[in-house]
Amino acid sequence: MILDTRFFFRVLVFPGFLFLFSFTLFCDWFERKVMARMQNRMGPSYAGPFGILQPFADWVKLLTKEDIVPEGAGGLALAIAPIISFSLLVLSMLYFPLDGANAFSNEGFEGDLLLVLALVTFANFLLFLLGWSSSNPYSGIGAVRIMTQFVGYDIPLTILSLGPAFLAGSLSLSRIASVQKVPFALVIPWVFAFFLLALQAELEEDPFDTPHAETEIAAGYWTELTGRKLAFVRFSEDLQVVFGAVLAADLFLGGPYGPAFELGHGLPIVWFVLKALFIIFMLEFVEAVCARLRIDQVVRTNWKLMVPLSLLSLALVTFCIPFVQSATGGA
Amino acid sequence: MSAEEEAMEAISKRLGERAQECRIAAPRRICVLVRCGSHRDAISALLERFEFTTISTITGVDLGEDIELNYHLWCGRTEVTVKTRLPKIRPDVETVTDILPGAALYEREAFELLGVRFLGHPGLKRLVLPDSWPEGQYPLRRDWKPEIAGLEFPQEADSVAIGAEGENRGSTVNVVFGPQHPALHEPERFLFKLDGEIVVDVEPRLGYAHRGIEKGAEKLMFFQATHLIERICGICNVAHATCFCQAVESLGGIEVPPRASYLRTIVHELNRLHSHLLLLGVAGMEIGFETLFQYSWRDREMVLDLTEKATGNRIMAEYNAIGGVRRDLDPIVGEEMKKVLSGIKRRAAFYKKLLGEDPTFGLRTRGIGVLKAAEALRLSVVGPVARGSGIKMDVRRHDPYAAYGEIPFEEVAYGEGDSWARFMVRLDEIAQSVDIVNYAIEKLPSGPYRARVPRRVPEGEALGRVEAPRGELVHYVKSDGTAYPQRVKVRSPTLANIMSFREMIRGCYVADIPAVLASLDPCFSCTDRMAFLDVKSGMKWFWSLEEIKRRRLGKP
Repeated sequence: MILDTRFFFRVLVFPGFLFLFSFTLFCDWFERKVMARMQNRMGPSYAGPFGILQPFADWVKLLTKEDIVPEGAGGLALAIAPIISFSLLVLSMLYFPLDGANAFSNEGFEGDLLLVLALVTFANFLLFLLGWSSSNPYSGIGAVRIMTQFVGYDIPLTILSLGPAFLAGSLSLSRIASVQKVPFALVIPWVFAFFLLALQAELEEDPFDTPHAETEIAAGYWTELTGRKLAFVRFSEDLQVVFGAVLAADLFLGGPYGPAFELGHGLPIVWFVLKALFIIFMLEFVEAVCARLRIDQVVRTNWKLMVPLSLLSLALVTFCIPFVQSATGGA
Repeated sequence: MSAEEEAMEAISKRLGERAQECRIAAPRRICVLVRCGSHRDAISALLERFEFTTISTITGVDLGEDIELNYHLWCGRTEVTVKTRLPKIRPDVETVTDILPGAALYEREAFELLGVRFLGHPGLKRLVLPDSWPEGQYPLRRDWKPEIAGLEFPQEADSVAIGAEGENRGSTVNVVFGPQHPALHEPERFLFKLDGEIVVDVEPRLGYAHRGIEKGAEKLMFFQATHLIERICGICNVAHATCFCQAVESLGGIEVPPRASYLRTIVHELNRLHSHLLLLGVAGMEIGFETLFQYSWRDREMVLDLTEKATGNRIMAEYNAIGGVRRDLDPIVGEEMKKVLSGIKRRAAFYKKLLGEDPTFGLRTRGIGVLKAAEALRLSVVGPVARGSGIKMDVRRHDPYAAYGEIPFEEVAYGEGDSWARFMVRLDEIAQSVDIVNYAIEKLPSGPYRARVPRRVPEGEALGRVEAPRGELVHYVKSDGTAYPQRVKVRSPTLANIMSFREMIRGCYVADIPAVLASLDPCFSCTDRMAFLDVKSGMKWFWSLEEIKRRRLGKP
């Protein structure tokens, strides 16, 4: 087999690994800065211009720290879970049509929406395993809370992400993005709103950040992590936020395609980045104005509110499809 | 009939001959010496006569041959001190916890520090000293020296289970919370018994920040002790210093200039403002509302700046002195204070609206950690905790000190008794404190701000009470006519409130623990006040002032 340099460039550099790495760090900085300004603080401001290098500095610092394994902790699970969960998230990111095509320079396949959702679920399950195997009661409780929350909110999230898929008539990420002449966020705004709320829970941000409620269970499932493991788990968390933002941008905001017209070569990625940042801003805004719910309230919100609402909105979407398609002349 | 006479009549009617001495020590202060064993009758007479009778504290004093127990009770309008003396060779006395459950912790304190055995007390265990502290060593007895304790004793871990072995079966687990925990800003240990996520029982353990201040104050002259007393607590230092100075002043019959009274009031209210804003931030932190934390701590910073301008220090004000205050208030600073505080008042109104309407805050605080009024009275809780349960209890109003008698203000009370009500009480008090400071600055009398006082203080005893940010603070000072106090006893508001935590948290979820605890605004350095402890070697020792000076100069 001949080594395809273009393939390797796309997977490893752009829009693959290196780009995702720097974009994630940038999003982390953006998140921290936005949050800080909302809270009347400065936020990162020393490393690089406007502190933009702070997340990278933190990451490097963590890599150099001592790696401590607590006594009685499940060695193998503890060692590989951060890496695997990180890898699964990166893999799922490669399927997004970041610059019009995905990292494997094709249009993806019918059903890659379900694939990326499944990969992220696996990544979260690994975090549970991580907390469970680190022999610390705080980690244990945090892990159980992740599982409780995740199992619950995965359902409305999947159901709601089917809304755009129905409208587009496809389960392919790039197809859903490309059919949006008018962003689906404007066509089916209620689905978009609920999707963001479910995403907030999925990403464990306020008001749903019970799995790492500092004042109750210290740092939750990562209480016992240090050094490289902590660096990778923290990075996975950031990557998960990026994943959520990119998913929402792809499904509801038209992904790499501009609102009205197509931009030239190379520019689709700019649209994607801007849209993802917009989503992150929305998520952070909700986080800034909310207090944390209790785990029982989180679960109740899910089963009593989110699941019925998501089913109802999906039914409404199904009902709307013919009108929308005739109005937008879409798929 | 005045309130004082009414209380005296209630006791003498019940006890007759057994009330040996009955006198009005000062306005709103009565002292009754009863025969050994009659204190229960005296207390129940007061409980029956006055509906709102609460216990402030129990002070034990070593008189040489005897141990004197002072039960300080607040009877709505007067503070009654019921005294009883026990022989030191056999210091047994009947408990009052069955008629006044709020006395449980005070009895434990007197038990471990003075060796008084309270017969019938449900759990007479150590409160602030380590569990492995040697038997028969009572640090507050006058013949006790650190040397005789034996400097080394084994350190054992505190118990990790509530109740007997057999009770801890099935789905109940015991979880230790603290002494080091992200939700606690000071070391304190709570042992929870949980059934799944539900709290079944809790046992607080105090003493991790015990510094021996009561004992240490006996070694200092009155004016020196003021500085030590101020260091009991960082947050409510002004309240402690005011309280101590007032007790000494009433002991020595010292008249404080009116200007000093007003200045004390101003700084005391600034102290309350900063404490309440701090707590609001902590509450936000505990329930994951970090924006609230950042906002209210920024407001608090402005109050700290004002405190610095008025007193010279940001936190440790060092403002009060026996006979007045240390510095005068510059009119320019006064004007600035009014301007900045009107901003704080607007912020308080904004927070009140926010916390009243925010759904997530409501979900975490409304109906959580409920303390009913009857229960609050039974446990003798104080301050915002009592006012959150609908009990109007504010020392500033009912036992006015400094300039509070002349300043109009409304007493805040909420009837809900939940965490939300306790936070709301504090928010209303922020607005009210601003008004008090404004009024005091406008009506500030001219004249001296400090009276000259002798170092010696006449023989006698006095009780100082102030409304600290966390509630009623009590200082008992006894002098034997020298320049050194014979006994100083401090009862901080947190000690009075900590018992109610058990009532509040039972049946709540684990996630409610930090939020409910924050609504109490606990301050553990106030509560613990004795002895240095090196856990590694199990060494315990006291440092004299000379030793501290020497160590500070680097000469071990």
